[in-house]
Amino acid sequence: MVTESPDEQPTTTYEQAREELADVVRRLEAGGLTLEESLGLWERGEQLAELCRHWLDRARERLAAATPGDQSE
Amino acid sequence: MTSPSTPEAPWPVRTVARKVAEWIGRLGEVWVEGQVAQLSRRGAATVFLTLRDPAADLSVPVTCSRDVVDRPGLELAEGARVIVRARPDYYIARGSFSLRATEIRAVGLGELLARIERIRRLLAAEGLFDAARKRPLPFAPAVVGVVTGRDSAAERDVLVTARRRWPAVRFAVHHSLVQGPSAAASVIEGLQRLDRDPQVEVIVVARGGGSVEDLLPFSDEGLVRAIAACRTPVVTAVGHETDTTLVDHAADVRAATPTDAAHRVVPEIGEQRRLVDGLRARARHLLSARLEQQERWLEGVRSRPVLADPQRLLHGRADDVEQLRTRARRSLAHRLEGAERDLEHARARVAALSPAATLQRGYAVVQRADGSLVREPGQVADDERLSVRVAGGRLPVRVAREDGRP
Repeated sequence: MVTESPDEQPTTTYEQAREELADVVRRLEAGGLTLEESLGLWERGEQLAELCRHWLDRARERLAAATPGDQSE
Repeated sequence: MTSPSTPEAPWPVRTVARKVAEWIGRLGEVWVEGQVAQLSRRGAATVFLTLRDPAADLSVPVTCSRDVVDRPGLELAEGARVIVRARPDYYIARGSFSLRATEIRAVGLGELLARIERIRRLLAAEGLFDAARKRPLPFAPAVVGVVTGRDSAAERDVLVTARRRWPAVRFAVHHSLVQGPSAAASVIEGLQRLDRDPQVEVIVVARGGGSVEDLLPFSDEGLVRAIAACRTPVVTAVGHETDTTLVDHAADVRAATPTDAAHRVVPEIGEQRRLVDGLRARARHLLSARLEQQERWLEGVRSRPVLADPQRLLHGRADDVEQLRTRARRSLAHRLEGAERDLEHARARVAALSPAATLQRGYAVVQRADGSLVREPGQVADDERLSVRVAGGRLPVRVAREDGRP
């Protein structure tokens, strides 16, 4: 899917990262890859998971900042 | 007969006065309906009052004797509607005109109400009360116009209640008469002044409860038309809940009381805040739930074995390699064993084929110097050196034939 190098991802949306992560997992689980391919995919998966995690954490911060008073969840 | 007047033969004042009086007197007796505007009981014997036309801007002085006014059952007061039997009278001594009343009757309440009903039907037929004409009230007006009596409970009710509900509201209050013959005109003036003010977004016309006569000005045709013609939305709060005056039909909203008018005209701040807070909370929850959903999904994906336990990739391969190594080793071991076995077999056969056993049995092997075996005695020459192998070793020998023997 996306073939940019891992260091140029500042404008990927959350949805793009998530979709790519789902695809990485699908391919890893399907199997039939060389060792090199598996390792590469796994590294990409970790990277994407980190991206998603950061985005979600930032979203949480924004939500908390907008409602300083009540944080009932 | 008097001759016509000329500059040379003018009439004296008394003649003119007399003639005018005669003219006026020709109208004869009339029945007049009107509204008592001013009532003065000066003078023991004579009563002076002003009879006003409710629909036109004019009035006529009326005089009568006290007993006309003092007739039992007649509650004569300013603003009262009356029917008067009178003759036009020109008072020569002063040169003033009045109607000389011989009988005054109050217009009965039933008659008043019937009149109101006639006006109502007329205006309804003109469409002034149609629902389509009703304008919606503004949601939170910046300025509320109020037409009401000075120092009235109605004014207080409207202002206090509205300020409590919506503290930021401002008022433009016009004090007018709210009963009596001039009330309708006074209210109209206030209404129109507030309507002209572009800041006033809604107008409340309020007065407290009263008798049917007290509320009459609020069924005045002119006032009802003025309200219908008003461009600013109008809320009427006249009398008590059960009173209906014609202005209520023409208003955009009819409130039961001045307090009720305040409820209609401004929203309640607490309720609005709760609405907004509720919406905010809903929005926040929706967003939070969505985030939570995504967080759960992410956790789920991250805990999938292919991501969480990449060692498995290697384990699989490492196992493969180990297995292959083991198989290779085992296969090699087999082959070695096989080879060793073969070697053993070969050695045994070699050993079996070896002449050492024969030698052990006592046989000897004779060899010539070049190593070739001696099988025939004739092969060897006399004195030839030979090697004899026996089990225990070699013997160097020489052929020693005895004479003549082969």
